[in-house]
Amino acid sequence: MQEIDAQTEFNDWCPGCGDYGILRAVELAMKEMKLDYKNSVLVSGIGCSGKTPHFVQDDVAGVHTLHGRALAFATGIRLSNPNLKVIINAGDGDTLGIGMGHFVSAGRRNANMVLLLHDNGVYGLTKGQASPTLRRGEKTKSLPEPNINDPINPIALAIISGYTFVARTFAYDVVGTKEAIKAAIEHKGMALIDILQPCPTYNDINVNDWYKSRVYKLDIDPVVHSESERNSKITTAIIKSFEWEERIATGIFYQDETVPPYEERIKGDITNYLDYVPADQTIENNRKSVTSIDAMLDKLTVV
Amino acid sequence: MIGGAQGLGVDTAANLFGSGLSRAGYYVFGSREYFSNIKGRHSYFNLTISDAMPHSIDSGVDILATFDAESIFQHFNEVRRHIIYGKAFESMDISSIRSMEGEIAEEKAKILEDAGFETNVSGVLKYLKSKNVKAIPIDYDLLMRSVLESSGTPPAIAERARNMICVSASFSLLGLDKQMLLDGLQPFAKNKTFTALNTIAINEGYSVTVDEYGMRPLKLVGHRIQADGNTLSALGKIAGGLRFQSYYPITPASDESTYIEANQVVKTSDKDSGIVVLQTEDELAAINAASGAALTGTRSATATSGPGFSLMNEGISWAGMNEVPVVITYYMRGSPATGLPTRSGQSDLKLALNAGHGEFPRIVLASGDHEEVFNDAAWAMSLAEQYQTPTIHIIEKTIANAYSIMDRSKINAESVRIDRGSIMQKPTSQYRRFTFSDNGISPRAFLGSARMYYTGDEHNEFGHITEASGNRIRMYEKRIKKLETADAEIDWKLRLNNIGESDNVLLTWGSPKGAIIDAMEELAASKMEVQLLQLRMLNPYPSKKVAELLEGKNVIAVENNYNAQAAEVLREKTGIVPDAKILKWNGRPITRDEIVYSVSKVLKEKSKKVVLNAGD
Repeated sequence: MQEIDAQTEFNDWCPGCGDYGILRAVELAMKEMKLDYKNSVLVSGIGCSGKTPHFVQDDVAGVHTLHGRALAFATGIRLSNPNLKVIINAGDGDTLGIGMGHFVSAGRRNANMVLLLHDNGVYGLTKGQASPTLRRGEKTKSLPEPNINDPINPIALAIISGYTFVARTFAYDVVGTKEAIKAAIEHKGMALIDILQPCPTYNDINVNDWYKSRVYKLDIDPVVHSESERNSKITTAIIKSFEWEERIATGIFYQDETVPPYEERIKGDITNYLDYVPADQTIENNRKSVTSIDAMLDKLTVV
Repeated sequence: MIGGAQGLGVDTAANLFGSGLSRAGYYVFGSREYFSNIKGRHSYFNLTISDAMPHSIDSGVDILATFDAESIFQHFNEVRRHIIYGKAFESMDISSIRSMEGEIAEEKAKILEDAGFETNVSGVLKYLKSKNVKAIPIDYDLLMRSVLESSGTPPAIAERARNMICVSASFSLLGLDKQMLLDGLQPFAKNKTFTALNTIAINEGYSVTVDEYGMRPLKLVGHRIQADGNTLSALGKIAGGLRFQSYYPITPASDESTYIEANQVVKTSDKDSGIVVLQTEDELAAINAASGAALTGTRSATATSGPGFSLMNEGISWAGMNEVPVVITYYMRGSPATGLPTRSGQSDLKLALNAGHGEFPRIVLASGDHEEVFNDAAWAMSLAEQYQTPTIHIIEKTIANAYSIMDRSKINAESVRIDRGSIMQKPTSQYRRFTFSDNGISPRAFLGSARMYYTGDEHNEFGHITEASGNRIRMYEKRIKKLETADAEIDWKLRLNNIGESDNVLLTWGSPKGAIIDAMEELAASKMEVQLLQLRMLNPYPSKKVAELLEGKNVIAVENNYNAQAAEVLREKTGIVPDAKILKWNGRPITRDEIVYSVSKVLKEKSKKVVLNAGD
């Protein structure tokens, strides 16, 4: 018993943190989908959300990476072993500030991964600076002056970047978040779930009750059934994503499986890519290389 | 030497020339210089032809083959015996060459003026006559008319035949059979326009000159390949089991990645294996995606040069902390900042040795020639896994972009040993990724095979975050101990080349090796025997062996940088301070005659520091 305890980190998030809801939703989704270290990896960035893999109470594998770079690590893991489901936990500062280049590029690739965006409007672990999703004019607890930057809309940005599954949930709607995570994992392509979460310590504006009085379930068909529907579905999703002050839509905004995932694109060049994934390949026999370079040398042979 | 405007086929011409020479049984080393530019700026190939494999160039040029005026002005003062030039350029003045950099034009004009000649091509020809250089005029316009008529290709495409005319004229001057040059077109047989055009150009050019060098075909044994450093590094990595390469485009590194992508399906025993090549959004993604891939048990690497490597620092630090076997092929070019993007340099050695914040082990290799590039590239893939730590393989631009005609047998996948290090085949439920061990190495299990955690924070044996002092002390030491293990296990003979025996030791690393080896005979003939000590592994540094070899010797550091960085490392590791330094930081490789010149300055004139400047 003692040894098993040693395998799980003590959870040091603040009481009331939205991350608890996200953690629970992740645990439930993984359990229901029978995901563990054998078939999945939890990747995370830096900040409070970065600790998520360490706090999951089940048999998982976790890779807690660098600030802004979770998607880059995740891409390497996924493409070298596409048998593994990759779930990324990263904050709004991590994803949309320091890691923005990767956020956009992940959409362009549309690899089969799930990004859970812990969106609380502040940089918690560094004592509450404004994050890229905090509204202009808002002065959260530790800001000396109101925020003078406009916010990024992660839903809209994800859609125009090429994410093919885009949803929003509220962290304390554990069941709704869990269901969205499951749908995202089942989806073939790059998925974003923008998870609104209170930061009870530093965000004294977007608190639990503030969200609770605004969130509602979307009533749209987000699925692109054919390419001709794409523009209208994108338009509806983006318009809905800008609702904020009075009402905040949650649920799946957009889903498009008509776009080939990156793994399929690689398969176009490497036909047995998914049958013989890089991580499973035998590269030596008795310490001797088994890779032939003869064909390449033939082309370089001049005489 | 052949020079001309970038984008007009100088590379193709130099490659065909080399392939013709290989058919005559000669070895070639071809050094390539070019601007950071797509089309129009001056580029050139400097080739050394020899019956034994050469590894360097000379600053003097026997035959300068040109098809434009800029090449004449740029290189006339390097020519020793023959210049092939376009007759129509004779009245052209240096001031009219708009693509020439002002600083160079001024410098070259001054050479002509000081010698009392006009600053046009006629003046150059007079200057060369005074130096007993023979000038061979070619009426390119006349020959091109004939090429256009017989090939029927549009003038814009036919333009590219000019360089083949001058290459063929050089081939004829050497006294070699035209057919050997023509045979080089065979691989391009499918491209009928290219073949037809160049066949005519070769025939026209060949008749312009006569045999003046008397070179005769040599006996050929076995097969020979023509390959540059980028290609050889790619081949080494592929043979070494590379299955994931990420990169962001940068000169002069990207050619390696595009070559791997072009050959991404490889034969392994009975089936095909695919290598994923990922072009990332930046170098931050490149290093971190490669690390991610390495965690799944995939041999993975990235390739970059100075600016990209700087961006990779944080990722390298994470890889060090998490004991990730990731290989970074570091193509070193002129720095700092963008520096000289297409020129060479050795000014980033200390960056490679110290990259990333914090103390963690890393292995640093630097190749001195093309054969070493292949072997080291393959070796790096194993070292990274044996010691579970980032491994940096340095290849300078001058080696990356130069090509060699070499024996095919030297590039041999069968000789590549693959050591995957300590792997936990059947991890239990209590698997500890960072388990404490005497040699610092913890058995690796791959993602997908066990419960495990990685974090950039200090961690316990399971990989969970902990800031406890006791664990910090042990885990920190465990990581660093791997370098001591590597130092103890890796044979010093693989970590340095010690050639010759003399009281005077030339201490170097990387590309100067070639120039020194090629100059050693001439030095010995002039009673200046030297010993060469070339560091191939700069970390872990073979301190004990180096100190032993340098004991009581006159140590002369030879490097392509300002501060003699490897000499500074020598001092740090052994306390030995070099007696003299031979340095060069103009972005061009050290030539073999520069070695003779500078060693003589040090040994005969007792110079403590010689600064070299050859190459345009």
